[in-house]
Amino acid sequence: MNEMNESPLASLKPSPWSSPYLRFVLFGLLAASLPLLSGSGLMKSSTLNYIGNVLVYAVAALGLNLLLGYAGLISLGTAGFMGLGSYIAAYAVKDMGLSFWAALTAAVLIPTLIGLLIGLISLRIEGIYLAIATLCVSEILLKSFEQADSITGGMQGKSVSYPVIFGHTFNRSSTYILLVVALTLVMILTHNFVSGQKGRALHAMRGSEVAAQAMGVNLLQYRLIAFSLATAYAALSGALYVFFIKFSYPSVWNLNLSLYVLAAVVIGGLRSIYGTIIGTFVVWAVPDLVLKKLPVVGGINGLPYIFNGILIILVVMFAPQGISGLWQAKFPLKRKKKEKEEAISGKKEDE
Amino acid sequence: MVDPLMDLSLAPETATHSLAREEALRVERLSISFGGLRAVDDLSFAVRKKEIFGLIGPNGAGKTTVFNCITQFYRPDEGNVFFRAGKGRAERVVNLVGQPVHSIIGLGLVRTFQNVEIIQELSLLENVLIGAHIDFKATAFEQAFKLPRALREERSFRKKAEEALAFLGIAGRRDLPAGGQPYGVLKKVELARTLMANPRLIILDEPAAGLNDSETQELSSTIYQIRDVYDCTILLVEHDMHLVMGVCDRICAISFGKFLACDAPEEIKRNKLVQEAYLGEEEV
Amino acid sequence: MNNELGTVLQLFMRSLETGSVYSLAALGVIIVYRTSNIVHFAQGSLGMFNTFVVTYVFLSFRLPLWASTLCGVAAAVGTGFLVDFLIIRHTKKVSPLAKQIISLGLIRVLLGLAPLLFGVDPLSLPRFLRSGDFNLGGASISHNAVLNISLGLVLMGVLFYVLQRTKMGLAVRTTASNEPVARLMGVPTRRVTLAAWALAGVLGCLSGVMIAPTTTVTTSLMDAVQVNALFGCVLGGFQTFYGPVLGAYIIGVGRNFLVYYVSSIWGEQIMYLLILIFLIFRPNGLIGKKFVKKV
Repeated sequence: MNEMNESPLASLKPSPWSSPYLRFVLFGLLAASLPLLSGSGLMKSSTLNYIGNVLVYAVAALGLNLLLGYAGLISLGTAGFMGLGSYIAAYAVKDMGLSFWAALTAAVLIPTLIGLLIGLISLRIEGIYLAIATLCVSEILLKSFEQADSITGGMQGKSVSYPVIFGHTFNRSSTYILLVVALTLVMILTHNFVSGQKGRALHAMRGSEVAAQAMGVNLLQYRLIAFSLATAYAALSGALYVFFIKFSYPSVWNLNLSLYVLAAVVIGGLRSIYGTIIGTFVVWAVPDLVLKKLPVVGGINGLPYIFNGILIILVVMFAPQGISGLWQAKFPLKRKKKEKEEAISGKKEDE
Repeated sequence: MVDPLMDLSLAPETATHSLAREEALRVERLSISFGGLRAVDDLSFAVRKKEIFGLIGPNGAGKTTVFNCITQFYRPDEGNVFFRAGKGRAERVVNLVGQPVHSIIGLGLVRTFQNVEIIQELSLLENVLIGAHIDFKATAFEQAFKLPRALREERSFRKKAEEALAFLGIAGRRDLPAGGQPYGVLKKVELARTLMANPRLIILDEPAAGLNDSETQELSSTIYQIRDVYDCTILLVEHDMHLVMGVCDRICAISFGKFLACDAPEEIKRNKLVQEAYLGEEEV
Repeated sequence: MNNELGTVLQLFMRSLETGSVYSLAALGVIIVYRTSNIVHFAQGSLGMFNTFVVTYVFLSFRLPLWASTLCGVAAAVGTGFLVDFLIIRHTKKVSPLAKQIISLGLIRVLLGLAPLLFGVDPLSLPRFLRSGDFNLGGASISHNAVLNISLGLVLMGVLFYVLQRTKMGLAVRTTASNEPVARLMGVPTRRVTLAAWALAGVLGCLSGVMIAPTTTVTTSLMDAVQVNALFGCVLGGFQTFYGPVLGAYIIGVGRNFLVYYVSSIWGEQIMYLLILIFLIFRPNGLIGKKFVKKV
């Protein structure tokens, strides 16, 4: 980017790797190529499920990062809205016979309207009270999932089959690709949104409410925007979940899930898109994909989760800016140098 | 419906519901109390167009409270604030009291803060861009998909922000994060941010606080330049008497929220009431 | 008429029992919050873990329940100490938000540790007093319920006495109102925080032992208690120690009456909705004042 102006070659031909979009697309391609690995036997088929889970939860985590990292507002309601999204999607497809797209739209829009209500509440209630107020909403939803048998299947849960899109019936691998496409799109749109005027307004609201107001930022409007976006992301995540996992149980959408999404955001680093993905990976995939593979300890039931818990605590204690903060603190110069070298030699390498 | 402001029998105090031709802002019989304490007490003064106007007073005189009442961060209990909003044909007189806080900037009234209110995590340029917030017309959808209008706006306002930074001599730092920048630079960023809003009136809350001597020197010439280049009126609160006396055309002195005097700097210096107010402060 | 009164009375006593469980947990949450500035999301998980200890000792070593409970209380003090000693006191420089995540890590550790140590099968724990009912104006109330209610009230009575009347309580209250200043004034804030975590552990364990007989001892034993303790805290306000206790009792009573008289399906949701609406009108809880921000 700017640092490359020092190099005469670079100023003529800026490295294409500096484009965030190319990196997003590469990320998507990389993630999408995983089913090939599992198809050729290089990767266990169950691994794909874990990675798929990470992709699903990453969408919700990105939404929470928008809310918490950019707007500085906290929510413990993520799980409830994910659940709501999943049940609406399942009900729309299975019981109402709606198309995938109609179901997805409904599954995102209805929770978003409730999210708007929370945005309204957030003008009155702040901090920890707001966090628990959102938990309150989430618990109301959770109890309703348990009770509204006719829609949610109650405690037995709700099942749905892989989606049918434009007459094409998806299987596990293609649904996985769908998740990749969805997440990549969400990443790109989030990147654009936060780096523009609306994103700066969210920053201002977090950094200094008085400055934001003095600069014409309508706090109500932007709190509504922040909450409706976070809710929409969570609902989308829930809908994707139900199409990939094919089941939705009430017990999934409890406080612990909201807390883990929060943990993923803080561990990955506030205001970092890739950090959020990494944080989600640490919380949901590391116990099963990495720690379970360890000799001896990996075999003991429960131990991977203990390690994961300890890892979470360690990250908070020693890297309070999250993994992305750690990365930026350690490698700012190296990366510049590397980019410069790449620009000169024309050698291209994935980071 | 009868406009109560026009009906003189209903509200005799607001008989001057309009500004004299040369006035940019008129504070009229402003009062506000906090839990029994009258922070501003029946205060009136007027600022003329293109004037550099100072508001002074001993510590706790209620200067910042007056600013907060003008910019509607506080709702005054009584009184009116008339302001000449807009430019050219859109020019009109507005009573600021009762307007939403976030709508004030759209009228052409921008302020800085006593303790700089800057977003640490954003670059200097991005901080300045926040000043153009209300001028963006592209929707969230257009911005997320980077549609042409969003791109065009972003480009033109970035250019404007760079100009504002260059005007204040800190263009070289535009991409550095605000967190960790020297205080003097942050004060300039706040100034640059106000310039983005095409202001008619800029309110500076202690612009010299925390600056060293040479920076304060520079500030007074910057204030003149802003008035001349950006064609606006400036209202400032400042503790640095040297700066206030040097830069202001007229000064209003207050004490315990009450009006003392409003005059040219030399007259204010000679004013008995003002001297007493400041002496009283030194004795305590 | 008499019968109606009996129902109300019975409901009320049952609510007090639930309220005791919630308020003990809520008291743990608020003590940790006030001394360490951490919203103790792991209060339930710690309680769950220590209830597992009680159950395990009870079933494996065939100790009487009261002795098993004492073992659980000791384990709770130990785990509380450990958490503070190993983690909390090293987080002075961690941002307030990141601090909250610590309890999430704790939850995960405890969720992994419990099945590892105590097996994956659900266990069951009996009541202290297995039989016997009082008859009170047409309402029958088990001896155990009366024990739970009185235990809750006595415990809280003692704690509030300690908080308000003793030097130790003064140290806790000073730490709660301003930790750095308290430290400068010579209050042993480290010991206060240590004691707070141990006490929260004990309160969590007791609430776990109280609720365990109504269900089975699994890792999700305390999920509802945790949530309701948090709701009790916002309802009562985070600024005082007794507010959350009051809030927790209100939730216990309100929930049971709504479930019985309004709707067995929607009663709980209505309760939560009412809390939400209440918060809109009193954003700092029942007992709590609003801080005015200065520009």
